[in-house]
Amino acid sequence: MPASSHPSSPASPLEDGNLLREILLRLPPDPSSLPRASLACTRWRDHVADPGFRRRFRLHHRRNPPLLGFFDGCGSLDFLPTLEAPDRVAPERFSLKHDEGDGVRRPLGCRHGLMLILVPKPLQVIVWDPVTGDLHRLDVPPGLTTNECYESVINGAVLRTASEDAKHFQVVMVAADGDEVQNRRAVACVYSSETGAWGRFITTPIPYDADAHASCLFRRFSTSIYIDHAVLAGDSLYWQLIGNYEGILQFDLERQRLDVMPVPVPIYSKGNYFKLMPAEGGGGIGFLFMFNSNYIAQLWRRKTDSDGVASWVIARSIELDKVLSLNSEKEENMRIVGFAEDNNVVLVDMLSGFFMIQLDSLLFKKLPRPKTVSSLHDFPLHALESVYTAETRIGGGHDGADLLPNT
Amino acid sequence: MATREAGKKMIMLKSPDGMEFEVEEAVAMESQTIRKMIEDDCADTAILIPNINSKILSRVIEYCNKHVPTTGATGAAASDTVAPAALAEDLKIWDAEFIKVNRATRFNLIQAASYLNIKGLLDLTSQTTIDTISDNSLEEIRSFLSTKNDYLPEEEQTIRRENQWAFQ
Repeated sequence: MPASSHPSSPASPLEDGNLLREILLRLPPDPSSLPRASLACTRWRDHVADPGFRRRFRLHHRRNPPLLGFFDGCGSLDFLPTLEAPDRVAPERFSLKHDEGDGVRRPLGCRHGLMLILVPKPLQVIVWDPVTGDLHRLDVPPGLTTNECYESVINGAVLRTASEDAKHFQVVMVAADGDEVQNRRAVACVYSSETGAWGRFITTPIPYDADAHASCLFRRFSTSIYIDHAVLAGDSLYWQLIGNYEGILQFDLERQRLDVMPVPVPIYSKGNYFKLMPAEGGGGIGFLFMFNSNYIAQLWRRKTDSDGVASWVIARSIELDKVLSLNSEKEENMRIVGFAEDNNVVLVDMLSGFFMIQLDSLLFKKLPRPKTVSSLHDFPLHALESVYTAETRIGGGHDGADLLPNT
Repeated sequence: MATREAGKKMIMLKSPDGMEFEVEEAVAMESQTIRKMIEDDCADTAILIPNINSKILSRVIEYCNKHVPTTGATGAAASDTVAPAALAEDLKIWDAEFIKVNRATRFNLIQAASYLNIKGLLDLTSQTTIDTISDNSLEEIRSFLSTKNDYLPEEEQTIRRENQWAFQ
């Protein structure tokens, strides 16, 4: 009965369909939330099974998605779940059919629940939503690099646009080119699903560092974009550079501008670990640096003073051996192999397994090392942070595609 | 009151049980519904708020008073001296106290927040409700809802079987 007919005793919001939906939207974004809520009564099931509701549920929680797991960084795209039952999402639920013609696939990064994958032949990127299964293939614009288009010098990032319905996405591809070590530049190109087209090429010169420190393993090599995934901080995407110039490439999404900046630590000296991250406290870029395996992770932050002059400061140091209660006599090789932007979690690879460390609470969890993940390559793992609502069989509801095709 | 708050435009809100509340326009405009009425020039001297009794309306106004951004001449001075993080923390503590109400009042506040379209209040009240529910077992939820399990046993079994992973 409508609430308005009982002004003296308003019906409970749990009786009112609209208000009940508002309340159910705020169920925690855990994978088991909706199937469990659907068992309360058939009315709840009907709300929860509605594709429109589930789209709103994903939208409502898109700023605080759970870390579902990590994808392997080399071509197999094996999924390593990180949540415990009942929220553990089994690896087989996220499988991208391998097209034989694609050659070796290389995941470039995962953000806002979308995975970006580079395929070499023909040079394309795939934008894949592992939760809905939605898939887009885009040709990488020819001319991204002026010399031969080696897929290994290309990197890229995907993100959803800030629009309220989050239906559209952007892909930013970056590459470095130039004939000699001294004469390099970075190039970027942006695809927008809204226009269905790539924009113009945006370039910036990469400085040549004649005084590159002798400890830099790559000082004689042309500067390229490192294989690690990009980091989104503020309105910019950042990539790590490798080669003669030890620094960071920045793409400002607002101003559509490409820049390079140096870093204050020797990234590529033997035994050092470097991982780009958003600065703690928000806003700008930062990074994690570990010096010659002393297990002290320094969290650096780039700050700009009132005159607009930027400098780097150490915001925090974390003694990882203490956090993980390592036996100091036992030498362990430690590599940071993954980072989850929304959950501020690093994935550390050690001989004894994978450790997931939440950087605010410093709580950690050990994960079994998947058989397919080799410690021999440098490919990063990619965090899937998303609201999982697919594969929930509730009254035959089916999730609609989240990304609108443009053609 | 209107003279004490010189320079600030006041408007009158009326509840169906005949109570009148004089509030700053900026405070009332925390409600998107009222904002639209004012912007569309549908509000002359007083706005009747249907279906929300004076007790609930006064609490809603209390919430809006606390949450209205301090951009006025006096407000600017206050926000200059208090860090945004501290302000947010203060609001969180205030919200937690504000929502310590019985279930009936909370439900009334949800209805009011929904009708008046006050996003922060709808978030606070709905989130509190779902937090109370999601800590409980299915049986407790059903008793909270005063509803009976209307599933046929085989229906319930099917859902449990098909989503086995979610019930481990």
